[in-house]
Amino acid sequence: MSGAGRIAAGALATAAAGPAIAALVPPGVLLSLLAQACIYAILALSVGVLARQNGMVSFGHAAMFGAGAYLAGIGLGAPGLLPAEAALPLAVLAVAAVCFGLGLIVVRVHGIAFAMLTLALGQACFEAANKARGVTGGADGLTVALPREIFGLPAATFQWAEGMFLIAWLAMVALAALAALLARSRFGLLTEAIRENEERARFLGYGTVLPRAAVFALSGGIAAAGGVLYVLYNGFVSPETVHWSVSGSALIMALLGGTRTVWGPLAGAAVYFLLREQLVEVTERWLGLLGILLVLVMVFLPDGLSGLPRRLRRQRGAEA
Amino acid sequence: MSAPALSARGLARHYGGVAALRGVDLDLVPGEIRGLIGPNGAGKSTLVDVLSGRAPGSGGSVRLFGQDITGLGPAARRHAGLARSFQRTSIFPALPVGAQLDLAARRVGATDAPRLLDELDLARLAAVPAEQTAYGDQRRLDLALALVGPPRVLLLDEPAAGLTAEESLALADRLRELARARGVTVLLVEHDMEVVFRICERITVLELGAILAEGTPQEIRRHPEVVRAYLGSAAA
Repeated sequence: MSGAGRIAAGALATAAAGPAIAALVPPGVLLSLLAQACIYAILALSVGVLARQNGMVSFGHAAMFGAGAYLAGIGLGAPGLLPAEAALPLAVLAVAAVCFGLGLIVVRVHGIAFAMLTLALGQACFEAANKARGVTGGADGLTVALPREIFGLPAATFQWAEGMFLIAWLAMVALAALAALLARSRFGLLTEAIRENEERARFLGYGTVLPRAAVFALSGGIAAAGGVLYVLYNGFVSPETVHWSVSGSALIMALLGGTRTVWGPLAGAAVYFLLREQLVEVTERWLGLLGILLVLVMVFLPDGLSGLPRRLRRQRGAEA
Repeated sequence: MSAPALSARGLARHYGGVAALRGVDLDLVPGEIRGLIGPNGAGKSTLVDVLSGRAPGSGGSVRLFGQDITGLGPAARRHAGLARSFQRTSIFPALPVGAQLDLAARRVGATDAPRLLDELDLARLAAVPAEQTAYGDQRRLDLALALVGPPRVLLLDEPAAGLTAEESLALADRLRELARARGVTVLLVEHDMEVVFRICERITVLELGAILAEGTPQEIRRHPEVVRAYLGSAAA
């Protein structure tokens, strides 16, 4: 089977597991938690795509996530202007387009400077969301009333834990498959080459800014898709969604799971949410415990939890 | 008379108040392998950097087969037919060897990547990430990335650096065969005089950012200023 065939088969099998999980988990808090975990896994996936393909660490992806949520919320709040079926994809495309334009500038900056730049841009968006009361509702946030039906589904489906879990699960699997196909494509190979040695890529005749900006745009679009699901589920978005701490959480999820594989950030998000739920019961200082776990993973598994199988294979190979 | 393959006129490069290149004139005849030698700090790598577009010149011009490429960046120069390798191995460590060659070939519409893999004894490593190969393999991969196409002019900055004497001579012989078979003009910066005298038809000697001498290997060996400034006992 070809690489693309394997990805498609894996995606279909994983997608099929969604209804099984929904059937096994009792409805209620846990299913709601899983729905949220899937939405934030999409945000972590977007951070992972940027790290994997461009070698860049972002502290500002909550801005794209929040922008997707706000734009979708504004679009849904003006049904006479746009049908919901157009407003939702347009929110994603608009964020991706802005990220592409922005990417043409910011991807020229590397390392810690890029991370700080994304932090600054993210916080600028946080301030804008706070100050633009007329559009965003300011600090009070934006309450969004969903139309009766979206894509032929009753609005309640999107705000019901089981319904949103299935929708977010399928979206997560589809976006992860897209990211995996990208990684295996010629374009993916080029962006990995640029990540590895940008100067050499230039001397092979490649422009290096456009591909990196395209990855930045794709990553922003994925984050925005997560934001769209967020506002559909919660019917509300506030500046807190754009805050840098949300970007930090997404980065922790991506690093916990590892960014060398496409599925690493998804695994990281699952571990983050499940652990958080357990630790919150034990102590108020759960974030500190999570920090210790992150340190341990970074020290003993620099490639994250998804790097564990590879490490075990190597160890077995060395022993053989 | 045909235009030189690569022609530099009055090439200068200043770092603050320090002149690394001081009005260098250089003409490469199409198809020749030219050696560029000189003591450390003579400006050899700086000259290659300015010729290849890695560093901007402070003055002067560069022409490739008569086409002015002075204002072009590295990618545009590669499309014009000018390629280079680097003093330190410059490859894509995590990518498989074969994929790297494909990537390089695709950009210039070349189909010689599989043949080049064979000719540089890299075919057996095609599926192996470059970081898992031996240093000598990485140096040959570096050369292959520059040679794919092939380019019309190739600038090589110490391709034998870090290799054993035996590996250096083998690489030099392979380089001569490949360049001749493909009609590539080569400017070779190299400290290993055995390599330079073995494959170069002409040699340019640089000292303190200016050309000290130019001639055949025999002429350079006997040039008193070159012997004093650089060759010493190696000329014997």
